[in-house]
Amino acid sequence: MLTSLHIEGDSLLHRLPVRAKLIALVTLSILLFLSSSLAVQAIAFVAAAGLYLSVGLPLREALKRVGFVFLTIFFLAAVNLFLLPVLDVATLTLRLMALVLFAAAVTATTTISAFMDEITVLLTPLERLGWLRAADVSLALGLVLRFVPDIFARYQAIREAHRARGLPVRPLTIIGPLIILTLKDADTIAAAIDARGFRRQ
Amino acid sequence: MNTRDLVLIALFAAIVVVLGLIPPITLGFIPVPITAQSMGVMLAGCILGAKRGALAFLLFLLLVAIGLPVLSGGRGGLSVLAGPSGGFILGWVVATFVTGLIAERAVREGQAETRQFVGFFLASVLGGIVVLYAIGMPWISVVTGTPLMAVATGSLAFIPGDLLKAAIATLAARAVFAGYPLLPARA
Repeated sequence: MLTSLHIEGDSLLHRLPVRAKLIALVTLSILLFLSSSLAVQAIAFVAAAGLYLSVGLPLREALKRVGFVFLTIFFLAAVNLFLLPVLDVATLTLRLMALVLFAAAVTATTTISAFMDEITVLLTPLERLGWLRAADVSLALGLVLRFVPDIFARYQAIREAHRARGLPVRPLTIIGPLIILTLKDADTIAAAIDARGFRRQ
Repeated sequence: MNTRDLVLIALFAAIVVVLGLIPPITLGFIPVPITAQSMGVMLAGCILGAKRGALAFLLFLLLVAIGLPVLSGGRGGLSVLAGPSGGFILGWVVATFVTGLIAERAVREGQAETRQFVGFFLASVLGGIVVLYAIGMPWISVVTGTPLMAVATGSLAFIPGDLLKAAIATLAARAVFAGYPLLPARA
């Protein structure tokens, strides 16, 4: 149900460490926002597109992943055409598309565990301050992945119960029971976690 | 934070993921389809309160950022955050926090039912609509260069749907509050 957007491969981006990719993404966005030259944006766009298409995604899948975001970009670009000079619209649109493509390339070439390792490192200062524990973040993430299929099955059961009674399936009558039934498990799950001493409390 | 809060946060983030799997509803009189997931902000704030609600959305944001397709329509990854509506997605955390702050102050047990409805509705509208747009619209304007006024005018198309979501979230939050109260009370 929750398959990562990561794709196996051995491209340049696959081999780079996550930190380098994230720093590159942030640097690229700052640089592109500082520059208002059409040529710079166009070069960035071509480079990002080349990079994204070389990570090993099939073309259809590659387009599908950025399709929705591109749709909103094109829509706003169409609106902009009435309000701004054409050259500015081209610059703004290319910049945004370049960033989206580069971000999609980073996502496609980075595994969830690599991201999590990096997040643990980034959380270390907060952990030192005593604000939170990195282990808690991983535990919470694991719980989400563990319970999404259960909650979805519960949603389907409530939907079937509606149908069996001839009731229309409406968000209003589904969300309430779904949330109550799910959150009521919290005590049992918390007790199970504490009984196993996962959080060393 | 105790283990129960941690579990509640994780379970709510998982509920928001599941809300994204529910097919969106289209209504004749509203131009934009309504996704159940976008009600998550109002629900999380009104049900879990400010702190836990915001943390649930922070966790959800983490799922998006590390490349899980958890947004409605199976979207996810850093590209969504880099796109024009990234501000709305990042704004979810703040919007949930504000919704929760208002709900914690406006709603408590033992009040008349109508007062609870009004409290949840106010919290949902102020946090889930006003605060969210106050972050999302300037963001769009900055990244796409579209003048803020044009963005604001265009956003009007979403307001009827948002008010309807606030109404649904209010009824659902009040049902949860009656059945399994979790919202911390504040003076």
